[in-house]
Amino acid sequence: MNAMGIIFANIYDSSLGELTNKRTMASLPFGGRYRQIDFILSNMANSGIRRVGIISRYKYNSLMNHIGSGEEWDLELQQGGLEFLNPYFTGNAPSYQGKLDALHSVADYLEEGSKDDYVVLADPSVLYNIDLNKVLEAHVSSGKDITVVTKAGIANGKKRLDLAIKLDEAGEISDLTVDLAAPEGYLASMGLFVIAKELLLHHVREAVARNRYRFERDFLSLQYHENNLTVGVYQHEGVVLFNESTQEYFESNLAILKRDVYQDLFFGNHPIYTKVRDRVPTYYGENSQISHCCVADGCVLDGAVKDSILFRQVQIAAGAQVENCVIMNDAVIGEGCVLKNVILDKDVVVRPGSTLIGSPATPVIIKRGEVV
Amino acid sequence: MYFQKKRCIAMLLAGGQGSRLKVLTQNTAKPAVPFGGKYRIIDFPLSNCVNSGIDTVGILTQYQPLELNEYIGNGQPWGLNKSHCCAQILPPYERNDKKSGWYKGTANAIYQNLAFIDRYSPEYVVILGGDHIYKMDYAAMVSFHEKSGASCTIAVRNVSLEEASRFGIMNTNPDGTVYEFEEKPKVPKSTNASMGIYVFTWKVLREFLIADEEDPNSSNDFGKSIIPKLLESGHKLMAYRFDGYWMDVGTINSLWEANMDLLGKEPVFDLRGGEHSKIYARNNAYPSSYIDLGAVTVNCFIAEGSKIFGTVRHSIISIGSYVGEGALVEDSVIMPGAVIESGAIVRHAIIGEDSRICKGAVVGGAFGPGETKKISVTRKGAMVEANTVLLPGEML
Repeated sequence: MNAMGIIFANIYDSSLGELTNKRTMASLPFGGRYRQIDFILSNMANSGIRRVGIISRYKYNSLMNHIGSGEEWDLELQQGGLEFLNPYFTGNAPSYQGKLDALHSVADYLEEGSKDDYVVLADPSVLYNIDLNKVLEAHVSSGKDITVVTKAGIANGKKRLDLAIKLDEAGEISDLTVDLAAPEGYLASMGLFVIAKELLLHHVREAVARNRYRFERDFLSLQYHENNLTVGVYQHEGVVLFNESTQEYFESNLAILKRDVYQDLFFGNHPIYTKVRDRVPTYYGENSQISHCCVADGCVLDGAVKDSILFRQVQIAAGAQVENCVIMNDAVIGEGCVLKNVILDKDVVVRPGSTLIGSPATPVIIKRGEVV
Repeated sequence: MYFQKKRCIAMLLAGGQGSRLKVLTQNTAKPAVPFGGKYRIIDFPLSNCVNSGIDTVGILTQYQPLELNEYIGNGQPWGLNKSHCCAQILPPYERNDKKSGWYKGTANAIYQNLAFIDRYSPEYVVILGGDHIYKMDYAAMVSFHEKSGASCTIAVRNVSLEEASRFGIMNTNPDGTVYEFEEKPKVPKSTNASMGIYVFTWKVLREFLIADEEDPNSSNDFGKSIIPKLLESGHKLMAYRFDGYWMDVGTINSLWEANMDLLGKEPVFDLRGGEHSKIYARNNAYPSSYIDLGAVTVNCFIAEGSKIFGTVRHSIISIGSYVGEGALVEDSVIMPGAVIESGAIVRHAIIGEDSRICKGAVVGGAFGPGETKKISVTRKGAMVEANTVLLPGEML
């Protein structure tokens, strides 16, 4: 049973504002040492998937820089390995609009892997630590056309879900909705699907020929409701973090401060790999007060930090107070600063004595490289 | 097979047992001993090579090489896994000329690998040890060697007169040429201690290695045999003065001291560095470290993947280790993957890799200023059982 992976790097880019202004969703920093794509790439690599295509659309420099040859994920291979599927413009073919025409544009790549019977499709905006072998086994033994990996407890009647599924008591699908703020009790799709490659290619060609672009709405839901497609559901028990808005991104980062989330996400089924930066261990100064934090390597900490995520090489001077913040790499926070509910993008300098206060629902966001 | 000609290659002597590190090197070679939270000793000479533009390194192994071989792997963490940039592990091997056998001495180890060096037809060969912590630009030393026209250049550092009798001492003329070498002299004439780092002009060294091998009375050692023979035969030897941080971590106390030297706002030895002074290490895919609500972390190094619930003061906490609630770690080195359970107390200790200090156990203790430092040590995978005591200076 061979499977290949497809990752949609630019999914939900537009809903994270400044944070994805100059980078893809896939290369958005997360959790101190990672970019979001590290999670799904590690899931695929650790589950024995040896051929992964990353479909990007624009702003992919940071992504390519991060992934490089794929060596860190053991995906620099003679056969298969990692492939960047960046768009190229031929003059008569504009960039894609949805996942279906994105897949259509890389149909040749999909067909090349003659040994791959199945395709695992994933969004990098949803983070989890999963054994995809189990999903594949479940898919094959279910005999369904497509398997949707879902998480219970996400649907709340407020969060708009791309795809939500209600199961009846027998475990059969009783409702399947797209783009709906599905009520409690519905299972939220994690944007992770398994489908036989030939079937996927067939549906992609049929859909694009009829000007249909959106995977969930124009293929999955449509064909399901017309009884042309059988849908299986795989429920993931572990932690799942959705980052489809700035607020979700902020909350998800801080969520790893919960012991069980940290444990499941990073030490669950397998390790999460990322680009190696060879920074020294973090130095905690004589008067530092660090409490309830996740701290990456290379930081120099002299101030007081509470309930926060510190990325690599962050410097926090004596007398500074940081609380409930997400501080990306290479930030320099000066003496006596007070930061609360703030996201600092990379390379930000906060001058001594500054005060930045946001609220948990609307954190202050400082753009990459700014001096404030 | 095509081999790029290299101006300079390095040979790293990593075969020593390091018996003075006692339980820490019981089942592993000294160069593979963890250091500084996420490194191993060999990362320092290897990274120095990379930072000095030396991209071909032969690593001579002999004693307990399993972990070392695994650690070096294909050399990828140091960027030495290319067609023409390599870290090549060179173990002793069987030959058809009855000269087979273990590496008899440092010079014999190089002799047995003449063929490896000859492939690259280098002008110069840098000989390095695998037991020192330092950052050094070997390229500057090679240029110095080249300009001086010497056959051999030896890196030296100034030590105190009392210390001098523990080292090989280079007695030099005012122009830096070496006129005499004394191994651990009782009455030292100078304080230029050899750091065990040599740059040789390859064609001279090659000749001397072959001659040395023919000499049945030779100890086949650089310090004891090759250097004195070069001096006798009138070759020019230069001393190259190095003033940066350098620590021989051959003993428990010096290993502990060198780790402590990393701490402080302005540490005695600063590991941080820019593009050409970074220390590279094999990576272990650990997440950020987790510092709990009640944790106290003061004047310490904490590496990735560590989970801290207790108190850590003036210590090195290595990758993937755990300090439980109410535990105290002070003036200690916690090696990778070690677990300090809740309520345990660890002071003035080196806790070996994957060791477990169970609940309520007490390891090591305090000592006053001027007292001999008694460091408690646990070997890899050791377990100090709950509510038991490992006395200061004791090993397990």
